[in-house]
Amino acid sequence: MSDTIIKKVCVIGAGTMGAGIAAQVANAGVPVLLLDIVPKDATNRNVVAEGAVAKMLKTEPAPFMSKSAARLVETGNIEDHLEKVAECDWVIEAVIERLDIKQGLYAKLEAVKREGTAVSSNTSTIPLANLVEGRSDAFKRDFLITHFFNPPRYMRLMEIVTGADTDAAVAAKVEQFADVSLGKTVVKAKDTPGFIANRIGTYWIQLGLNAAFDMGIPVELADAIAGKPMGVPKTGVFGLVDLVGIDLMPHLQASLTSTLPAGDLYHGIARDIPLINKMIGEGYTGRKGKGGFYRLNKEMGRRKETIDLATGEYRETIKVAGPRGAAARGDLKALVESQGEIGAYAWAVLGDTLAYAASLVPSAADDVVAVDDAMKLGYNWKAGPFEMIDKLGAKYLAERLAAEGKAVPEILTVAGERPLYRIENGKRQFLGLDGAYRDVVRPEGVMRLADVKLSSKPIIRNASAALWDIGDGVVCLEFTGKMNALDGEVMKLIGQAIPLVAAQYKALVVYNDADTFSAGANLGLALFAVNIAAWSEIEKLVAGGQLAYKGLKYAPFPVVGAPAGMALGGGCEILLHCDAIQAHAELYCGLVECGVGLVPGWGGNGEMIERWRNAPGMPKGPMPAVAKVFEMVSTAQVSKSAQQAREMMILRGDDGITMNRDRLLHDAKQKALSLVEGYTPPEAPEFRLPGAGGRTALGLAVEGFHKRGMATDYDVVVSGVLADVLTGGGEFDLVDTVSEGELLKLERDAFMGRLRDARSVARVEHMLETGKPLRN
Amino acid sequence: MQVYEAPLRDMKFVLHELHTDDGFGNLEALEEFTPDLVDAVLEEAAKVAQEVLLPLNRSGDIEGCTLENGVVRTPKGFKEAYDMFREGGWCALASDPEWGGQGLPETVNKLTEEMICSANLSFSLYPGLTHGATTAIEGYASDALKQAYLPKMVEGTWSGTMCLTEPHCGTDLGLLRTKAVPQGDDSYKISGAKIFISAGEHDLTENIIHLVLARLPDADEGVKGISLFLVPKFLPREDGTPGPSNGVSVAAIEHKMGLKASATCQLNFDESIGWLVGKPGKGMEAMFKMMNTERVSVGIQGLGVGEAAYQSAVWYAKERVQGRSLSGVKNPKGPADPIIVHPDVRRMLMTARAYNEGSRAVGAWVSRALDAEKHATDPAVKARAEDFIALMTPVVKALFTDCGYESANLAVQVYGGHGYIAESGVEQFVRDARIAMIYEGTNGIQALDLVGRKMPAHAGRYLRAFFHPVSDFIAANKEDATFGKMIEGLEKAFGALQLSTGTIAQKGMKDPEEAGAAATDYLRLLGLVAMGYTFAKAALIAKARLDEGTGEAAFYTAKIGTAQFFFDRLLPQATAAFLAIKSGKASMMALDADMF
Repeated sequence: MSDTIIKKVCVIGAGTMGAGIAAQVANAGVPVLLLDIVPKDATNRNVVAEGAVAKMLKTEPAPFMSKSAARLVETGNIEDHLEKVAECDWVIEAVIERLDIKQGLYAKLEAVKREGTAVSSNTSTIPLANLVEGRSDAFKRDFLITHFFNPPRYMRLMEIVTGADTDAAVAAKVEQFADVSLGKTVVKAKDTPGFIANRIGTYWIQLGLNAAFDMGIPVELADAIAGKPMGVPKTGVFGLVDLVGIDLMPHLQASLTSTLPAGDLYHGIARDIPLINKMIGEGYTGRKGKGGFYRLNKEMGRRKETIDLATGEYRETIKVAGPRGAAARGDLKALVESQGEIGAYAWAVLGDTLAYAASLVPSAADDVVAVDDAMKLGYNWKAGPFEMIDKLGAKYLAERLAAEGKAVPEILTVAGERPLYRIENGKRQFLGLDGAYRDVVRPEGVMRLADVKLSSKPIIRNASAALWDIGDGVVCLEFTGKMNALDGEVMKLIGQAIPLVAAQYKALVVYNDADTFSAGANLGLALFAVNIAAWSEIEKLVAGGQLAYKGLKYAPFPVVGAPAGMALGGGCEILLHCDAIQAHAELYCGLVECGVGLVPGWGGNGEMIERWRNAPGMPKGPMPAVAKVFEMVSTAQVSKSAQQAREMMILRGDDGITMNRDRLLHDAKQKALSLVEGYTPPEAPEFRLPGAGGRTALGLAVEGFHKRGMATDYDVVVSGVLADVLTGGGEFDLVDTVSEGELLKLERDAFMGRLRDARSVARVEHMLETGKPLRN
Repeated sequence: MQVYEAPLRDMKFVLHELHTDDGFGNLEALEEFTPDLVDAVLEEAAKVAQEVLLPLNRSGDIEGCTLENGVVRTPKGFKEAYDMFREGGWCALASDPEWGGQGLPETVNKLTEEMICSANLSFSLYPGLTHGATTAIEGYASDALKQAYLPKMVEGTWSGTMCLTEPHCGTDLGLLRTKAVPQGDDSYKISGAKIFISAGEHDLTENIIHLVLARLPDADEGVKGISLFLVPKFLPREDGTPGPSNGVSVAAIEHKMGLKASATCQLNFDESIGWLVGKPGKGMEAMFKMMNTERVSVGIQGLGVGEAAYQSAVWYAKERVQGRSLSGVKNPKGPADPIIVHPDVRRMLMTARAYNEGSRAVGAWVSRALDAEKHATDPAVKARAEDFIALMTPVVKALFTDCGYESANLAVQVYGGHGYIAESGVEQFVRDARIAMIYEGTNGIQALDLVGRKMPAHAGRYLRAFFHPVSDFIAANKEDATFGKMIEGLEKAFGALQLSTGTIAQKGMKDPEEAGAAATDYLRLLGLVAMGYTFAKAALIAKARLDEGTGEAAFYTAKIGTAQFFFDRLLPQATAAFLAIKSGKASMMALDADMF
């Protein structure tokens, strides 16, 4: 029987998907063999796979989380290296969607693979039964479909399809690896065409196109309706087609029309749209081509243009009056009941999409949860179809469909006036076709704060933060403001939390469910305070933050920071004050204050010096650590993964990385508990700073950047101030011992000084208004 | 008796001495307007105001405007006065030289406006509205329209109006119904009824150019569907002379509380030909351009009336003998002392005086920003000027008109029973001043504009242009040997303002009603701090001049005295406003509507 652990993976097919999957396996720290064909007359027989890796190292957003991950990819070709498959525990086939080629490959694989080594296809169109035709029973036991979404690093959905012969243990092994190591949410799909996400997604897109053409709705308006207001990405239908490639549409359509059973609703909406054929013919295939439904007309000064669906000519993009009020803010009923063409289009797209999705349980998916997960994670919908049905009302949808003479899916009839989801005893439950509600069960180790919230009230909360009991004596500090920005309220709550946790709990985790851990200090608030010249209030806020963070650092219990997504500025600094970090692999973390003309003010300087001073292999003396910190902070460097944050010493040796976002809280909690026994708070460091000599050296470095045009005039000023702080502010020299408190004072004064400079204020303002840094 | 002599010395003080360090700089484009030149302009304007306009103020109030057979007649003497005014080039004073204006700085222009308003508020509306209309045309109309209309309007041969209000809508213009139907060429036919149109019809100019808000046939509902049209009373001929009548008729003129010599008309537009000004659906934008200019000018109206009322009260307080001074006889030869000896009369006179000087000083600061906005070459200065104007426009409008009305009321009180009698001439000030608190957006609307739009915009950026200079001034001068105590008072009021700003911004974001409940008190608080700041600055400058011994001891001593009075007796209102703001909306909104 098979090993239960996957130690090495082979990916065959180094196209975008295959290469991306290989990269994600490497990101998990697992060696991966990437094979492709030998091109005719190739001198380098591995050129395809090697080229794919080289290309990925230049791709943005990056498929690799770090350079070291790239080194885990071993490249080769299927003619010379196929026998290496014997070393692998899982083989992922990601070659061209042609049955004959896939079958041929499987035949060769069968000859070299170990029994129990899982083989999966990344097909999105071919039924499993056809794939394994002609293979041995043993091969069939090891075979399944694992359908990744593009790009594999960033899209969290993986659909798994098993055949009648698939060994459950093999499937479980793959599922476990995909979940824990690759960080995917695994949705089990049936062996039906398009599985779940693409089947519904294609249907939705087709409806969106059809309705716009039929009703004469301009492209902009269509996307303004079937976009954000529906809780789907703001690209809408046309924008999405531009993004994925218009030429893909006929392929998808042909594939689904030829494989879906007669009587499937899709046959009723699939149609040739002459304009689309014309566009493809002329090379207007979307963003990758000459343009799509939208384009930038460079001959007219980068004018934004949109195609007119009636004439097929480009015209200047228009501003449209989309849904307003509740209809724009997620009230789906208000949306489909909007007056005029807005309501009509919204209903035409949404009503039939939801009906179609509802008809796929149980033929394509076991339950409503699988369908919702697939659409949320595969198409980035805010809510899945059934969650949308609940917003609309199952009864409302059923009645409106019936009134139009359309079939009412069984699940809607079963639901009647009941919702598809409900909360019962603090647990989320979903409705089955048998009319009974069952708990939504998450895999072991999956934990979200949202689940905790269903069954409890916060221990304390205010406008910007809350404290939750997450069980086993562990407390979670959650930020709750916009972008989880940090302000006086957060600091106040930290101040309240420390004695409370010390008295009644064992440990604290700093975590939240949001996509952004924290964007840092609330700059809007700070700017407002600057604008009304409330200098003393601002200084209080800075000092209050320093006090709160040091309070966490020296608290008599362990504190674990568990960031995911962005953790910038003050959001990074709080992590630096934690005893340990358990980070999600997707971590965008750094001290970015210089970008807005400021310097770290909540203890970040000292903590980073301390981290680099204790880094393995650092040369002696105060300068090397300070130089490292200066380089990182003055350039506002941000990690593009947790792995990179480790290279930046934000994460230390014992800090952990969690690949699956849904497992982060659980892992962080375990880490916190592991620290409880015998916990003693750290001792306050004493610093030796390089003084005037070091200041000169850092200044010279900046001057060099300035001369080469890489630093602006004001960059020189800001990094000069940062250099002052890091080298002792002109108050301390090489021989002096600087206490943590003294360094905090230097940092605070430097921060206040920058905030009073109009050029820093201009940077802050620009960042808030445009989201981009001002290079003044 | 209506007494008025232009306060030229104080005007020159705010113009040349008070704001030289405000960072709006000395503008190169305005260099030709030397101090000597502008002083001469002010002196000439004073003469026109005192000698031509003031004598018509009371007679115009008595006679009022009349409507006969569709023709509006202004009171006796107005036509002659207007002709003189126009021929003297006063209509064109601040307009762009490109259109025949003299391009005078706003700093000077606003002071001449003040004089005209002091002397005759009704009269001021005729050239005032024309100036507003030219601003909108300059900013938004096509070149052809500009060529055809601006030269005549700038010289004052033709006048202008702004037609917004309709019988069923004033503040909420989104409801308006006047229609504009495209004619296939570039013209439209405008039909509808407008009310409250100042200078809507009169006999002072040969043509009247109406700027009319109307709706296109396919327009959106609400304010986004409103466009602005230029509709002349007479369609100009090729040679530029007024041609055939254009279907604009006067249904009635309003019978008003005051401002009787200004014709306030109900106008009917019956398929009148008009042309689009600006883009379709962007009428409010163009109208606001004009409105914002007008709002500052309406503030100046409040100041103008306040000044005239104050001077009339001072004249009376010195003339009228009644009772004896509490500190002993002051006028032994007479049967009684003049009432100016009495503390409570002083309270009233000083209050009006301080409001007037405070308004004039703040107004001059805003005027400097208006000049910088137009002429500054440094984009940072220009941007700061724009921010400052955006913030201060509602403050100038509401604060100055509130204070002007208060001053007019106090003047009546100084006159006692005589003030209530029409012959005294001072009750007219109350009636005239009252409208300024209402039109061009009521003062309540100004306050909402301040807290709802201006305060939160760009994370409070507009506030910076005001808060930073005040903060810096306090930091630099709070140790001042003579005025340290005064500046401490300013610091306290400023602290209350900062705190209120933070509170309103925070509460208002969650609950707009909280911002609404605080708005009027907040505007007053900001206005008081602005006046306090200019008074403290003025006191420091006056002291320095006195120390130098410039020989104008009376002026500077009085300036310090008035400043001290403001700090002692008027700035404490800031504390009251602060406490009122702090208490929030609860008691304001507690009663159900049917309990009223």
